[in-house]
Amino acid sequence: MENLNFGGTSGIIVLLAYAAIMLIIGYFAGRGQPNVRTSVRGYFLAGRGLGFVALFFTLYATQYSGNSVIGYAPEAYRSGFVWWQSVMFMIAVIAVYLLFAPRLYVIAKRESFVTPTDWVRHRFRSTRVSILVAILMLWGLANYLLEQLVAMGQGISGLTGNTVPYQIGVIAFVLVMLAYSWMGGMRAVALTDVMQGIALLIGVGVLLFGSLYLIEGDIAGLTQHVVNQSPEKVGVPDGETSVNWLAMIVLIGFGAAVYPHAIQRVYAAKSERTLKRSLAIMAWMPFVTTGVVFLVGIIGLELFPGLSETDSEQLVGMMANKVAGINVVFYLLMILLFGGVIAAIVSTADSALLSLSSVVSHDLYGRYINPRASERQQVLVGKLVGIAVVAVLLLLAWNPPTTLYNIFVLKFELIVQIAPAFILGLYWDRLRAGPLFWGMLAGALFAGVWTVMGEEELYGVPGGLLGLGINVAIAVLGSLLTPRDEGDGDAAVPTTAETTATG
Amino acid sequence: MDQRRSDDRSVREPIRSPWVWVVMSLIILAGIPLYLPSGVVEPLVFGVPYWVVLSVCCTLALSAFTSWLCLRKWNLVEQQEEAAADVTDGGSTWKI
Repeated sequence: MENLNFGGTSGIIVLLAYAAIMLIIGYFAGRGQPNVRTSVRGYFLAGRGLGFVALFFTLYATQYSGNSVIGYAPEAYRSGFVWWQSVMFMIAVIAVYLLFAPRLYVIAKRESFVTPTDWVRHRFRSTRVSILVAILMLWGLANYLLEQLVAMGQGISGLTGNTVPYQIGVIAFVLVMLAYSWMGGMRAVALTDVMQGIALLIGVGVLLFGSLYLIEGDIAGLTQHVVNQSPEKVGVPDGETSVNWLAMIVLIGFGAAVYPHAIQRVYAAKSERTLKRSLAIMAWMPFVTTGVVFLVGIIGLELFPGLSETDSEQLVGMMANKVAGINVVFYLLMILLFGGVIAAIVSTADSALLSLSSVVSHDLYGRYINPRASERQQVLVGKLVGIAVVAVLLLLAWNPPTTLYNIFVLKFELIVQIAPAFILGLYWDRLRAGPLFWGMLAGALFAGVWTVMGEEELYGVPGGLLGLGINVAIAVLGSLLTPRDEGDGDAAVPTTAETTATG
Repeated sequence: MDQRRSDDRSVREPIRSPWVWVVMSLIILAGIPLYLPSGVVEPLVFGVPYWVVLSVCCTLALSAFTSWLCLRKWNLVEQQEEAAADVTDGGSTWKI
């Protein structure tokens, strides 16, 4: 992110204020929960008591990271109007929730699930499937967390005009994040998400307002300008680009919905009513988030024509500088924007970290390493693992590997492979553990190798989606070829009857 | 018995209605300009290329439909939870 010539002291004050508020919220969230240190459900799921406001904002702040602003605006700049797809694929995430969340919520509450792996273990009774799912989730979460740490450092150094260097900024905010997560667990994460979600909404709102002010609200003139400068960014996309648009809807829709921290928010809902009302509003949020960011990126085409791919990554910083230069009101509003971006990054990072801690402590430590561990020990191990993982990722974060968007796609390539275990597993009794395991493994290997080898998309279809196709084919055909009464030793638990019986 | 039948009818889940997913797929496909001639910009509608306006309209429909499904096509345990929440000493499975 470009260093902001207006940031400096004002930026530091905003960041300090954010940090103080987050710590205060974390402190009171911890005090309000007597079992936060002794119960895995208390710590990792807020005792399944998230009400409407907290659940909605934690879903929102978790789904939309800082990358949704500082990574997507440059993508709109480079791709043009076709990046409207970012609004569609964010809605698709909510649509995919509808494929599994209603039933999974009921079962999770009845069976007291803590992590997504609990469902897999309950359904398939297979160690290898459970471990493979845990590994894929950890891989996705770690990559996701790394991306947030990189973005956090860039955002903080940009906001403060490099007064706070990249490394110091990351370490300071990571410590704040760890502190409030340690004190209050999921409840602290969700309540800070309320503040962070509001900050993000205000931030993108003022960025759009400032950007429209700069072009005097002339959308028609904007289109004409882009037509003259880069007609390929305005016209109907070619077939391959449209196929890629559809592929991204499927890949991100399924991938983001089965993220471990997304599934754990289904578990943590206070009631079905709370969950469905939150998701009903979430279905509209892409318009006021990625939709706004899309428009900002398009406006950037008029304000900053001809940027290279690398330079375009700085687009949000450049636009904020220009908007801040209008007058003192916009100056202050842009400070709010960057506070919002930082808040969005932190809110996504804390959710991913908490989820990662729960998978390691509950699924690996509590299940295989020390099965006799008390819940208090599991919570403590989760907290310590969180600190250790962040320490390792920080070392990687000093040297960001590639552009933000590329990291983002890499995450979904593997995480989406666990989708059949949830969606098919919930509704299709014949799905067997063996074929599911080999399907996930083959899909993950294919997607991973495809990406590492740097292969191009196959007529717009990314490797992750091709891997998912292979995955589903193996799981379905393998299950159909396995006689009903001859399991592979991993007998599946009938699900349809037990779940419909709840009605 | 009648009460039970009534309860069964009130159980709703989006996955059980195939038409829901057909409609959703059609909305998504209509929002992606696969079927339009590539490279065409005009006519402009409200200063924006027509295909973008078409896609925005489909996206609005997608949001509206998804939101409607959440509120109207999803009801597995809501009544039980609310009934349990009303009972302060019931000890129900769904008490929250």
